[in-house]
Amino acid sequence: MSTLASYAVTALGGLAYGLLLFVLAAGLALIVGVMNVMNLAHGASYLAGTYLAYLLTDGTLASLGIAVLAGITVAGLGGAALSVLMRPLKGHTEQAVVTLGLGFIAAWIFTRVSGGTTLVPPRPAILDGHLSVAGHGYPVYHLSFIAVAAMLAAAMHAILHHSLTGIRLRAAVDDPQMADATGLSAARIRTAALAVGTVLAVTAGVLGAPVLSPGPGVDSTVLTLSLIVLILAGPGVRIRNLLIAAISVGMIQTLGVITFPTLASFSLLLAVIAALIIRGRHGLQAVATA
Amino acid sequence: MAAATVAVLALTAAAGCSGSSLDDSTAKTDNVITIGLIWPKTEPYKSLGDDMAEGWDLYLALHGGKLGGHTITTVTADEGNDEATARNSARKLLDADKADVLVGTASAVPSVAIAPEVTKRKVPFIGTGGRPSTLADISYVWHTSWLSRETGAAVAPYLAQTVKGPVYAIGPDYQGGKDQMGGFTDAFAKAGGKLANPDGATAWTPFPGTKDYKPFLAKVRSSGAKAVYCFYAGGDAVQFVKDYRDSGLGNIPLYGAGFLTEGDALTAEAGTADGIYTVLNYAPTVPGSANAAFVQDFQAKYSKAPTLYNVTAWDAALLLDQAIAAAGPAPTGASINAAIAKIGQLNSPRGLWRFNANHEPDDQFFLRQVKFDGRARGNVVITTLNPQS
Repeated sequence: MSTLASYAVTALGGLAYGLLLFVLAAGLALIVGVMNVMNLAHGASYLAGTYLAYLLTDGTLASLGIAVLAGITVAGLGGAALSVLMRPLKGHTEQAVVTLGLGFIAAWIFTRVSGGTTLVPPRPAILDGHLSVAGHGYPVYHLSFIAVAAMLAAAMHAILHHSLTGIRLRAAVDDPQMADATGLSAARIRTAALAVGTVLAVTAGVLGAPVLSPGPGVDSTVLTLSLIVLILAGPGVRIRNLLIAAISVGMIQTLGVITFPTLASFSLLLAVIAALIIRGRHGLQAVATA
Repeated sequence: MAAATVAVLALTAAAGCSGSSLDDSTAKTDNVITIGLIWPKTEPYKSLGDDMAEGWDLYLALHGGKLGGHTITTVTADEGNDEATARNSARKLLDADKADVLVGTASAVPSVAIAPEVTKRKVPFIGTGGRPSTLADISYVWHTSWLSRETGAAVAPYLAQTVKGPVYAIGPDYQGGKDQMGGFTDAFAKAGGKLANPDGATAWTPFPGTKDYKPFLAKVRSSGAKAVYCFYAGGDAVQFVKDYRDSGLGNIPLYGAGFLTEGDALTAEAGTADGIYTVLNYAPTVPGSANAAFVQDFQAKYSKAPTLYNVTAWDAALLLDQAIAAAGPAPTGASINAAIAKIGQLNSPRGLWRFNANHEPDDQFFLRQVKFDGRARGNVVITTLNPQS
């Protein structure tokens, strides 16, 4: 019973981590899908969100709300600016290098300003503390985070698959020339996608700061994991595939380390390699239509 | 044109000659001693390095920038978080800056990389952090701090006697962590203690880079542990303590090597650290006039309570002050090293201590507990432990 409870608590941790990665990867998928290039500054956007949370939250729900709104504003403007900056860059490699450079610079500035130590943003007082089951505790904040991220996933699914905006967006992703020909402004959709994608990353940072705290190296960790989620989820912006991939990665990262501690550092990559080889054998078709 | 070129060359040559002879005479008359400092500017131990630099700076500031009557020039370099960075920094300080003494490291592991470099060049290295058990040749290596295996060994007999049941051991998977935890588990077994870990060995967490300790801590409750002993420092300590509370383990007493609640880590942990027991060879409440004066000077300059990290660097400066004074009119690395070997007792803030045969302090360890008095939070001495060497 107790061992079971310990696994259950760890699985909850995997779910929280997976959902955090989902929000990040969904934002990246939007940017990659629409711009057809990896935005390698995406990890730095998450880091920006965590530092915003550290600076603006003081243990009240209101301050967390303010931090979220500030994050949305900053990210929306930043994403739009990035889209303008990207316009003259035609090649994918150029775009990747420029975003990677911007990400490095941003992360370096954050490290400088914060003093380079791991910071612990305060959690709202009413969500502080933990729930205990059979002597195994789990933080209330993380449970709330799971609920909010799950609602975000449901909302994104509804918007992408059942609203006109979502249908336009998917049209622009799947066939930009056709969308252009039918009168949809590809440039405007592109700017919107970058803004929304960045908003998702920064919001993940603001809300996720108590789950994955700001510190040096966090940007590259989340960037690498989001890229892995993206690759596992396959092409396009498919919420279901992204959700399954993100939660799998989160579970491997948490359950994996206690089940096979000696494989901890590369169990995720072993699983990714296995998944890609199996998918390669069965053909991409099965996953793409899933 | 040709004449002008010759004149310029001659001038340059003359300048070059006089420059070098001037350098030589400066070294002989003023005897400026160059000291290379290697402390981390990188996570996870950056805050430890910052504290050490404060202790060093305070001593120099209070002594007019002189040690042993000689003006001191300091050059700093990054310890990084791997052996290669520390090794390159040591080589740069030794060869480019011609350092007469090296002081430094927060993490234990880099001392292994630095030791052969200083020994080859006959320059003493004063360690201010841990020293791993794998370091064999200590002829030019002196630590004012602790041996990595020592901290856990000091508290193990106390835990074997006072904890009514098995103790769960957990620590980071690298040489420093293995020494810290190994020192504890070996002495604990010798004192008749029993580990709660199912396989009878320490639970290891990946290092560096563990961002979430909850999956590892989920195993503590089912192990039937009556207490937990751990070693974590810097940013890792903050995350571990936070995750310990979040995992609902608050009613299982947490013991650790003192680094768990030392310095910036304690500030960041805030209330989550209250009640934690740690073992270390310093606390701001250690009795004695040397500590009282040190605490007062330290608070006047930095407006906070000192940590062991401040003290190990302070002691390195205190040691060099006496050793350089005893190293003759023109001290060299080798003569300073010989003088260190002859130093008697040092009047350190943590009490009088002298080097033992291991070139590290023969000093007392204290059991401390984190307490909040309504104004400030600090490590309060509960009892004095007898160190096991």
